[in-house]
Amino acid sequence: MQFDIDQWRAWAPGLDSAEDWRAWCAAPRRLIDAQQQPDVGFLPALQRRRLSRLARMMFHVAWPLAADHPPLPLVFLSRHGETPRTLAILTDLARDEPLSPTQFSLSVHNAIIGLWSILRQDTSEMTALAAEGDGLEQAVLDACGLLADGAPAVLLVVAEEAPPALFDGHIDDVPFPYAVALRLSAGQGWSLALENGDGPRADWPHSLNLLRCLLGLQPSLRHHWKRRQWTWSRPHP
Amino acid sequence: MSDLHLEIKNLIIEALGLEDMTPADLPSDLTLFGEGLGLDSVDALELGLAIQKRFGIKIDAEAKDTRTHFANVASLAAFVSAHQAA
Repeated sequence: MQFDIDQWRAWAPGLDSAEDWRAWCAAPRRLIDAQQQPDVGFLPALQRRRLSRLARMMFHVAWPLAADHPPLPLVFLSRHGETPRTLAILTDLARDEPLSPTQFSLSVHNAIIGLWSILRQDTSEMTALAAEGDGLEQAVLDACGLLADGAPAVLLVVAEEAPPALFDGHIDDVPFPYAVALRLSAGQGWSLALENGDGPRADWPHSLNLLRCLLGLQPSLRHHWKRRQWTWSRPHP
Repeated sequence: MSDLHLEIKNLIIEALGLEDMTPADLPSDLTLFGEGLGLDSVDALELGLAIQKRFGIKIDAEAKDTRTHFANVASLAAFVSAHQAA
């Protein structure tokens, strides 16, 4: 697969600018989550109020990339989605209490792309994926399909919220909440190749590893997941 | 402002996540749905649930005067008072 990455943006607690991420990439570490909220001040308060932090992270990283690009198909990837909302609903159920209609309507996996579509008034094709370790690469595959279908550009957003404490010991692939947005277009600046192969699991979520390449700190990258070997490279940097 | 009006205003702000708003921004005669505050149908369900939980009043979403009771803070207060007295 070949494509261009025109623009990217990432957020995690305490990290927002490219310079912040450059410093993190030089010395990757687990971040302390003090429940910081990414800024979504570009939305009116009445529209902001239903956005969970996961949704705010998604909007914060994706909005600037979409600003001059109406309409823009979207591939949204989150393995765990709105786990805190689902847990709140299940807790109410277990206590025999009535369910919050707001929590219920926003707990489904494609609720965030629904809000995105409504608030941006964009009716382009949008997909919500949940996948394991190489979800990033699966999402790129989806995005490349949309590009091959003629979309001038595709927005790809990966976002994970910190799982509630109940899931400690069960969810081990979210070191801290994070979101990464990429705007892809047809081109030959980047190549992603799939082969059979075994190798060590990456130290960090794949989209955070990719930032090293995006920042030009590393020319290529190899990710392994379940006998799949993905190689990212920049044939024409 | 009566205590019940204030309590209902705080309940609306809290239940519907109206960050940035205070009871002072919510006049008792302000229309809550559509024109006015601009709440929608999901808010109506959420507010109905909040009133039910706080005041122990069962609300029939199908009843034709439910819409009238939910017009503004004053009508909600009258509705709650009537049920508390009953």
